Amino acid sequence: MQDRASRGAQGVTLHMRFPVVVALLATVAFASVVIPAAATAPASLDIRAKNVDFFYNRFIVTADTGVRVRLSDGTVISGETFTMDLKLNRYLIAGDVHIDGAGVHQVGAAFAGYPDLDRSYFLPAEGTPARVTFRGMDWTHPDTTREQPGDAFHFPDLTGERSYIRAVGARVVPRTEVMFDQARVYTAGVYVPTPRYVVVFGTNSHFYENAFPGGRFDVALPFNGSAHSLSALHLRNDQYNGSYLAFDQHFVWDQDWIAFGVDPLTQEQREYNLIGYKRWTPHLESRLFLQESAAQPGIINRPINAAGYGQLQVSGGWHGSNFTYSQDNYYQYLLGLPKGLTDLNDFNYVIGYDPRWKEHPMDASLSYASGDIMLGGRLAWLHLRPRGGIGFAHDVYGEGGFPNEQPGPSTLYYHYAGGSLYTQPVRLFGSLQFTGLYDRQRTWFSVPHETDLGDVRLTLSGTRQLQHLNYFVAYEVKTTDDYWGAQQLAAYPANADIVTTPYGTFSGQAAFRGLATSRGYTGSAVYSPTASFTFNTILSRFYDTPAPVPGLFGQPPWQLTLDARFRLSRQVQVDVGRQYFFNFANELWSPQFLIQFSP
Amino acid sequence: MITRSLAALAASALLAALALPTLAQSALVQFTGQLLDVRGGYVYFTSGDAFKIAPAPKLADYDTGGPTTLTPGPRVFARAVFDPATKSVIELDLSRKRLAEDASYATVAAPLTATKATTVRAPEIVGQFATGKEVAVAFVVTVPPTTPINAQIYISTDASGWNPQAIKLDRIDGLRYRAVRRFASGTKFAYRVTRGSWNTVEVGDDGLQAPPHEYFTKEVDAQEARVTVFAWQDNRANTPVQAAQPGAVPTPFNPNPFPPGGIAPPSRATPPGGFPTPRPGLPNVPH
Repeated sequence: MQDRASRGAQGVTLHMRFPVVVALLATVAFASVVIPAAATAPASLDIRAKNVDFFYNRFIVTADTGVRVRLSDGTVISGETFTMDLKLNRYLIAGDVHIDGAGVHQVGAAFAGYPDLDRSYFLPAEGTPARVTFRGMDWTHPDTTREQPGDAFHFPDLTGERSYIRAVGARVVPRTEVMFDQARVYTAGVYVPTPRYVVVFGTNSHFYENAFPGGRFDVALPFNGSAHSLSALHLRNDQYNGSYLAFDQHFVWDQDWIAFGVDPLTQEQREYNLIGYKRWTPHLESRLFLQESAAQPGIINRPINAAGYGQLQVSGGWHGSNFTYSQDNYYQYLLGLPKGLTDLNDFNYVIGYDPRWKEHPMDASLSYASGDIMLGGRLAWLHLRPRGGIGFAHDVYGEGGFPNEQPGPSTLYYHYAGGSLYTQPVRLFGSLQFTGLYDRQRTWFSVPHETDLGDVRLTLSGTRQLQHLNYFVAYEVKTTDDYWGAQQLAAYPANADIVTTPYGTFSGQAAFRGLATSRGYTGSAVYSPTASFTFNTILSRFYDTPAPVPGLFGQPPWQLTLDARFRLSRQVQVDVGRQYFFNFANELWSPQFLIQFSP
Repeated sequence: MITRSLAALAASALLAALALPTLAQSALVQFTGQLLDVRGGYVYFTSGDAFKIAPAPKLADYDTGGPTTLTPGPRVFARAVFDPATKSVIELDLSRKRLAEDASYATVAAPLTATKATTVRAPEIVGQFATGKEVAVAFVVTVPPTTPINAQIYISTDASGWNPQAIKLDRIDGLRYRAVRRFASGTKFAYRVTRGSWNTVEVGDDGLQAPPHEYFTKEVDAQEARVTVFAWQDNRANTPVQAAQPGAVPTPFNPNPFPPGGIAPPSRATPPGGFPTPRPGLPNVPH
């Protein structure tokens, strides 16, 4: 009899194609339903000049000497100098200005474009000086009587500013991005040449929501873009792959977006990720995440092994409440079994192989989260947020596996209910305030056991205005209980009291029977004498039962966090932070010294 | 005789003074601003005013009054000196550095400009007065009650390239985080609240993706921007963080109940030639 693994190996073609087909269908669906953005005037400005500069901290583009600006309707405006404030979305061309387009040939001193107002302002240099206003891109009906903005022809003050990018040309898509040709980017004190560089400056954050996993370092080189797309190479570093190149592609509309990423691009262990978001109606949205993990030597070689993962979320909002359906699917061995591996039930055949991978695990849930409910009457200071949901898991890691090897169903159903009861900050006396939280959730499983999660948090906070100090102390008790009824001792047999891990030997494990408690004290003080300096310190002490075992479970009993932020200049703030773990898992200080520069 | 002589001398001095425009009408004979162009017999300033210029005006250095290598053109600052009789600019004192205005527009430029005043109101022009002075701005973010006590909260802005960790906030009580920054009045940007990544960005009060918050620095001494986060994208149901996801393990603690037997290989181990998805982390080890 042919086992499932062999059948899976024969079905390689289908498995290979499935994620790709889904990805393509998703892309087409997303792209086809979206309504193209309405064309505004001008939809773009193509700038050519001897010198084009970009001031990143001001979002201002300037151009000098032989300036030639081509608007999206074909009209060409030339002059001696050009400046555009990308955030205010207005531009100015001054000095020997010539406007040449369909039905217009004029000479003037300055031309100012205000796309948001759908107006252009012009100072002609022929005949008697006047303040001319054009509506939209209608150059045939100049209006010399209409009021103009008082600063229509003002240059921005760039005294003391250094340009971040120098180029010979730029294409500006108003409210979205600017693409520089033959750009030289100011990096570490020198201008590094790149063929092209794209700066996205719009208020649409989806251009920045990439599909990469977290990393320690990421520098992007966006090299191509349009009003709805952006392509970028990334130089990244993470703890798994070291330093490497990655690629991502974005398609962005008003609310909908797609992000595709290949990470790393230059290492064997590779991820192809795709995230798609679609807002179907004001009250319904969906989000799709597809991932293929491949062992792929070289950049374009055929992978030697691949696994897939897909997650679909459909979410609806209704009167401040939310319903979300979420489904996960896992696909292992998309390319068939690795060479030499024939018996998937022999988990000793390859070290580290898990027989559950021969299955295609999936899980799904439908959850409900209520909006904030303020209790009435004498309890008006209390707020309630109930929640609940149902779901199932089939052959999921750590779950479907054990029934295959042991008694039990391969599919597990569950439902849960819970909620948060909490207070807004309640003033006690002086600046002292109290905040309370009680959260409880119970989950019932088809395999007869129940989990109960509890959380009680009491916080006292205060402010010392004269000392520029904010502080709080919090006491929190978390309980995580797993009830198996008569099977309790079978599910949680007596452990050895002492556990040895690579981090040492730890005792206090024998009494654990599935009921855990964590009590924690946290104190924090934030000292901010000026808006340019902040020092934050947080000290936490946790008492956990069972006692934490580094590498297995639990959290460091002591945690100290120090964080200082100070402003070096008007544009640069430095954030220096580190944690101290008091020798938990052989850790004293956190491995990473966080230093972040931000505007 | 002496009286007549003194009177004649005084009259002569008065005539001489009146003949010198800088003495008689100092408020009316010069205008300082930034140039747009000199073209067609007019000098254009960024105020939009065009002043008639003499055929061969004197060009001088603003600081020294001596000769200058600058030529009047865009971005150059200039002080225009007028001949009151002809209302023409007879001298331009040029400088590259930003010059302060030395007279008000109404008394100097308006009477002399050749640019016709506009007369029709333009309702599309709206604005808010801002001088650009620095304003201390406190961002106060109220988070969902189940947000962990030690969670890191950030503000991401379009002005910082939507860096999800652009502005770090400090927890000040059981529900709120706070950060103070200084912005020039008139500063305008859009922002979202995150827990450090786009996977943990805030969602709206109905749990759906919401548009970014709009911020504008007013012309005040201090300002506060308050935001309430109803849920995070990775936890729309606001379940407590320690919740063991039912699909992840059969019990919160013991992934392999009912001994003997069980699954010999540890779960989430790296498969041969690849790795499971999602990529495994290092649980319980501080990192």
